[in-house]
Amino acid sequence: MSNKATLAKAKMLKPQTKQSFTTYIMVIAAFVIMMVLSSTGNVSSQIEGLLVPLCVYSILAVSLNLTVGILGELSLGQAGFMCVGAYASALFSIATNESITVAWIRFPLAILVGGICAAVFGILIGIPVLRLRGDYLAIVTLAFGEIIKNVFAALYVGIDSNGLHIALNQADMNLAEDGTEIIRGALGVKGVPQDSTFVIGFVLLMITLIISYNFINSRTGRAVKAIRDNAIAAESVGLNITKYKLITFALTAFLAGLAGALYSHNYATLQAAKFDYNMSILILVFVVLGGIGNIRGSVIAAIVLTLLPEVLRSINNYRMLIYSIVLIVMMICTSNEKARNLIISVFNWLKDQIIKLKNMIIKPKTKEVK
Amino acid sequence: MALLEVKNLGISFGGLRAVDEFSVSIEKGELYGLIGPNGAGKTTVFNMLTGVYKPSNGVIMLDGQNITGKSTIEINRAGIARTFQNIRLFKAMSVLDNVKVGLHNHYKYSTAEGVFRMPRFFFTEKEMDKKAMELLSVFELDSKADFLASNLPYGDQRKLEIARALATQPKLLLLDEPAAGMNPNETAELMNTIRFVRDNFDMTVLLIEHDMSLVSGICEKLSVLNFGQLLCEGNTFDVLKNPEVITAYLGD
Repeated sequence: MSNKATLAKAKMLKPQTKQSFTTYIMVIAAFVIMMVLSSTGNVSSQIEGLLVPLCVYSILAVSLNLTVGILGELSLGQAGFMCVGAYASALFSIATNESITVAWIRFPLAILVGGICAAVFGILIGIPVLRLRGDYLAIVTLAFGEIIKNVFAALYVGIDSNGLHIALNQADMNLAEDGTEIIRGALGVKGVPQDSTFVIGFVLLMITLIISYNFINSRTGRAVKAIRDNAIAAESVGLNITKYKLITFALTAFLAGLAGALYSHNYATLQAAKFDYNMSILILVFVVLGGIGNIRGSVIAAIVLTLLPEVLRSINNYRMLIYSIVLIVMMICTSNEKARNLIISVFNWLKDQIIKLKNMIIKPKTKEVK
Repeated sequence: MALLEVKNLGISFGGLRAVDEFSVSIEKGELYGLIGPNGAGKTTVFNMLTGVYKPSNGVIMLDGQNITGKSTIEINRAGIARTFQNIRLFKAMSVLDNVKVGLHNHYKYSTAEGVFRMPRFFFTEKEMDKKAMELLSVFELDSKADFLASNLPYGDQRKLEIARALATQPKLLLLDEPAAGMNPNETAELMNTIRFVRDNFDMTVLLIEHDMSLVSGICEKLSVLNFGQLLCEGNTFDVLKNPEVITAYLGD
């Protein structure tokens, strides 16, 4: 009886809802396991140092998946938005370090500032860029990402009693005696408060996941997916294509900004050179290997591919060899129909075995007789 | 006052005059057919009516409102919905979601309300589900609401496209070759559906069709296009008997 009731309940849950909740539970479980492991001292310091970057990369992968998987446009400028978020939040934290001394008030505000600044950049860049499609859009977003990085790498910002000084080289800044330099060109920002913790990263990842899933399964998300599937038909039912593309792009940038803020508060120094196209490509690799449009896959791919090089450090010589093999295997598994079917059948076989095992242990109480 | 009043519509692509001096007047509630040999410019007329192409000259009036040269979105909001010759569904989305996209502009809540799951999200989504299922049941697709649109059989895909167009609550429905690729049974079923839609939704329908059994079966009036020009128009029965029309289709 109770079995039937739960079955009916499971059927009533929409597949999307089930999918999103499975992902939430997986992430929460992973978090709890990590917390337990680290509190009992079973985690090496290397892995411990990776916990925040894991969250950062997961958030980035999920956010990029909104553009690549849901909107269906290839964007290679994710590191640029991350860069904006990182710098904006770092500046905010340094500027308010003395006025807001409580980290747990200052840091959320800094994260929000990072996200909003990145979203503004996303809209500004999105307006010209989203007129393009496919490869052209990818090239232009790549260029914009590089431009953002290089501008920040050339920027000098200082503060003194006369106010804020912004220049493109150190001499032009004309800082007074009492001034302090905040951004020092290619040397970046020093003295960012290290507020990022695994717990905050986890909370941010959860927020990102909830926002993403809710966005996808809402009226706006449906419109975005419709535009991805068939722009002409979407227009014919009265959808404003530019508007929905911009909303998605801004949301992607906002989430990347959050990740950037988390990233910048994890290290003492922040350099623009980190946010180059390698970073963008790396995030795209997570998205593609996790499955385009598959949010849960993005998280898993980001975690596996970030952890793998560290885990393999003990067999240092073969590290990159194994890494590349894993990449290729994942690529085949996600794109090849036969390989996927093989994996699915293996999973089904395992499932059957588990059910059989369960039936052996807990024998069904009564057999229905007709 | 006719629902759709088209006067002297014309368009050129470079030196090619694709449609010239096309006029038509469709009354509310009519089932109107647009026929003609391949390449006569029928779909071009549809594309001008829905704002995909901007006409070089001529006027399009819908329900007393001038919609000439407006964008596709504005025209859809003014009340014209269409289906496509080569089916254009949102393939990676469910059947239900396809219809719900059609309902997009009639059931509103903001992006923020959706992301933060405000009460209005649940309320509106429920209403949308109800309305979409109603529409799907008209086309007997309600049992397949969870299917991916691309997994539907061909005939059902055509029906879903009509359902999606109807979801935008148009005054005028344009069907571009709805029976293309259907077998006689499916065509007969489709004829019933179109008639049903006209009667139950108070719809005016303009359709392009090559299948003469469908045209003669349901269309009350016809216009015939040949080489971009109006060859003749009038009651279906008269038009199909017109020797000029027969010549245009079969040659001398």
